[in-house]
Amino acid sequence: MGDLIVRDLYKTISHAQKTHLVQSKEIATSCVCPYLFKMSYPFGVVGGERDYVIANTVHDAISLASPTAILENWQQGKTQNDFERIAKSIDKDSEDILQKAIANSKSRVKMEGKTPLLETFDFEVQDRFHGLLIGLAKRVMKKYPQPKRAVTEITITNVAEVQEGRIDAIFEFKDDRYGLVEWKTNDVKRASGSGVDRWQLIANFLLTNYRYTGDENNWNRCLFGSVIYYEGAYFPRLPLSEEWLSKVKKDRKFAHEILCGERPHAQKPPFCPVCDRDGESRSDCRFYREDSKQALLGNLPVDYANIRRLLLRRRYLVLDERAETHKHKFVINTIIDRLGEANALQELEKTGVINSGYRIHSINANSVTLVKKYYNDDEATLTLLEPRKIVRIIGKEDNGIPLLACVNEKGFVREVDDTKLIVDFDGNTIAERAKTQLRNLPIIIIPDEINLTRRVLEPMHRFHRLAADIMLPPEFFLGVQNNESGF
Amino acid sequence: MNLGFDSEQLRVLNWRATNRDIAAVVGPPGCGKTTVGSALAVKMIAETLATKVLLVAYTNAAANEFCLELCDILGSKVAKSLCLRTGNPTGVDPSIPIPFSRSANEIKEKRIIISTNLSLKKLPALSFDNMIIDEAGVERLEHLLWPFWFGVNKSQVEEYKSRYDTRGDGDGDGNTQIPFKINDLIELISQCGTVATVVGDPKQSRPISPMRVDYSAIEWVIKKSTCDTLRISHRLPDLLSGLVNEFAGYDGLRSAPEISSRRLVLECSPDIEYREIIQPDEVTTWVDINGEEQPIGPSSWANNMEAKACAKICSHLVRITRSKSIAIITRFKAQKLTIMRYLQRMGYRDIKVTTTTGALGTQADIVLFSLTRNNPERNVGAAGTLQDLNVAISRSKEKLIILGNFDMMSNGWSGGGGGASAGNKYQYKSSARKLARLIDLKYGRVVDAPQMIIC
Ligand code: SF4
Repeated sequence: MGDLIVRDLYKTISHAQKTHLVQSKEIATSCVCPYLFKMSYPFGVVGGERDYVIANTVHDAISLASPTAILENWQQGKTQNDFERIAKSIDKDSEDILQKAIANSKSRVKMEGKTPLLETFDFEVQDRFHGLLIGLAKRVMKKYPQPKRAVTEITITNVAEVQEGRIDAIFEFKDDRYGLVEWKTNDVKRASGSGVDRWQLIANFLLTNYRYTGDENNWNRCLFGSVIYYEGAYFPRLPLSEEWLSKVKKDRKFAHEILCGERPHAQKPPFCPVCDRDGESRSDCRFYREDSKQALLGNLPVDYANIRRLLLRRRYLVLDERAETHKHKFVINTIIDRLGEANALQELEKTGVINSGYRIHSINANSVTLVKKYYNDDEATLTLLEPRKIVRIIGKEDNGIPLLACVNEKGFVREVDDTKLIVDFDGNTIAERAKTQLRNLPIIIIPDEINLTRRVLEPMHRFHRLAADIMLPPEFFLGVQNNESGF
Repeated sequence: MNLGFDSEQLRVLNWRATNRDIAAVVGPPGCGKTTVGSALAVKMIAETLATKVLLVAYTNAAANEFCLELCDILGSKVAKSLCLRTGNPTGVDPSIPIPFSRSANEIKEKRIIISTNLSLKKLPALSFDNMIIDEAGVERLEHLLWPFWFGVNKSQVEEYKSRYDTRGDGDGDGNTQIPFKINDLIELISQCGTVATVVGDPKQSRPISPMRVDYSAIEWVIKKSTCDTLRISHRLPDLLSGLVNEFAGYDGLRSAPEISSRRLVLECSPDIEYREIIQPDEVTTWVDINGEEQPIGPSSWANNMEAKACAKICSHLVRITRSKSIAIITRFKAQKLTIMRYLQRMGYRDIKVTTTTGALGTQADIVLFSLTRNNPERNVGAAGTLQDLNVAISRSKEKLIILGNFDMMSNGWSGGGGGASAGNKYQYKSSARKLARLIDLKYGRVVDAPQMIIC
């Protein structure tokens, strides 16, 4: 029976709704400016290529240090000297982690043929790392006792609310409450209490509430949430204002509707705080707004309008495909709702959608070997895992944490047979993290994907602007700087 | 340049070398799409018809094939100095002498650049005055648009735009000042200076919208541009090229004379149970087998009996044809994995088992094709698509063995959302019917599965 329920659901679920999930980051973007979100989806405008190597390296290091050196050196200091001392002892205990993260980034840059890193790279990574530790000691450790556990870089999916997000760190305290922490690693500026940092934190609060209570609106377990930046922290006061919460939910709905191909009303902010410092809208944004307006008025020449229509239609097909990649999560969630978690997992396993019964055997440089605890040839169902398939390795936690909110890592299957599964990770940091977070937990494997949507949308944007450059006289877009087709 | 190309390949090479537009070259199975693509790149550089050529394939395997072909044509030494492979280093075959790099300077220096579609975005801002795109495996229009973008000629675009600046009437009447009419995207791309040859086969390619009925990428190019077709297969012997020609409707596909009468040569005679199946003179054999289909995963299918039979036939073939390459093809991933499991247990880890999607661009001396679907409703589903069947039956150089329920396939239905019953208005007669009929009446033989391989 399970086979049929599950397979039928795969067939019918997309009729009921498009299986889109909105990422916390995308919600934050919509909150700042709905057009900024539309620039990415559906238009495919890619922002300036910024270099995030330093930020990523610091992120890697701090995600490994959180459950180890940070937790061990957690102290409630009072003075600047105390904070310095705490940060230094964490620095000392994380030296190995930091050096490994730096070495990994360097070899990755070399392998990918990127522009070589500056000589100051090591120093900048160490300095930012230290700055974040000061911020943590000064604002978080000072107030809260030592947590009993830290989980880092976990992807939480709340299917019912169509939201997904990656949480930097959650500290779990003795009284079963949690503190949510986001690291601002991309520069040494303050986190903005009014901009994208705040909205992303609130969006992630909703996911974390879901992880601990099964309900994004249940704040009973929430102790604090903070964006830690260089030597400081942004701490919104709890309970959060209803106005903020409803804005996040409203903009989540907006982003979801856009992804589904609907046309919710978008309001341009009174001035443009994001794209240009002087408040000027950016050219791509002005172009698309004017383009839609002229299309609505029926002013576009037929030949251009045809190409425009084709490019827009293709963009929505790309978005539909993005929805397809989330389908597994919708099916898993629906079956769990219908049958309860234990029965649902059995049915899903029987159908070959998920694979359970694994435990971690060993973790090497950048891969994990999982073995089946128990294998019976007669009962075994065929696994659909095969080399190069992308999977989410979930460590099933107790305490009623929903399956899609448990600790997890993403990887690529390298080898699979009846009793053994080897999964490669995208870097040593993930393997290290898996060692700390997944070991000793029962493992469940579900299918996953990587999101290439923006990369696929980008050529459509380029040709759209090229078509306008060539086929429309400039009068059409008065004020929109032409010559923006990407050269 | 004439390095043993056939007359059709030469015609296409001459046509494409001298034309500066976007065009399609249709290459039915074994007609040498990769050879023509690589040769075209070399010809254009050698005859100074182009200064920088981009060769693009969808998969790393196909990009590697381009590299091998270039080495064949140019010799390793020259290929090393002229060509550069870029993209994702993990997909590059290290045994190929053509160097790999992602460095902008090195890419700028070389004349022929080989890349996969998805890695193009990482190329430095360059422009190519000619490009050859292998369409096999491309399932999205966007995967064609990226390479096209690298052909857009910046000064050409600037020139068009400057026409507006000199007009200056500013009347906003919507009339374009460019001296031609642009009716669709291909024309726009072409008018912006992109010169490209897209090689592919609409009879093997999947639609560009996975969830809807749509054109394949090559059909899209054919519809909007000029096109020529290669019709001499260097892979398929006469009986197979005849079968494929009639089945897919290639309108004149034929075998190259030197391979036309090629047949399987065995090192020793098969055991009695396998004799009818392996019979070398019969190029195509359909083994009629009545195994039960089994749903696996969200939408896949397996058929244990067929999988076991494939593994057993394979094992026997390995014993009696030591030097022959063998491949097993099926439409369904679950069946592929089931067959692999049986082979693994029998100790055969090296036999290639692939889905029809993965089979594009591959070939083997002997091919086994497991149809998998078998149900009372005769619903063949996706296993009965022309493109998939065509890919599966056209990979073999000497012998094709099809495993499946003959009655089910010769009366099969496709469409109708999978499990729909007969009479469903969305169902249509599956292409599997035509294949079964052609094999039974003209190009092969249908034999009952011997007891020995199904138990
Ligand atoms: S230019 Fe202004 S309206 Fe446009 S995306 Fe940027 S902030 Fe939003």
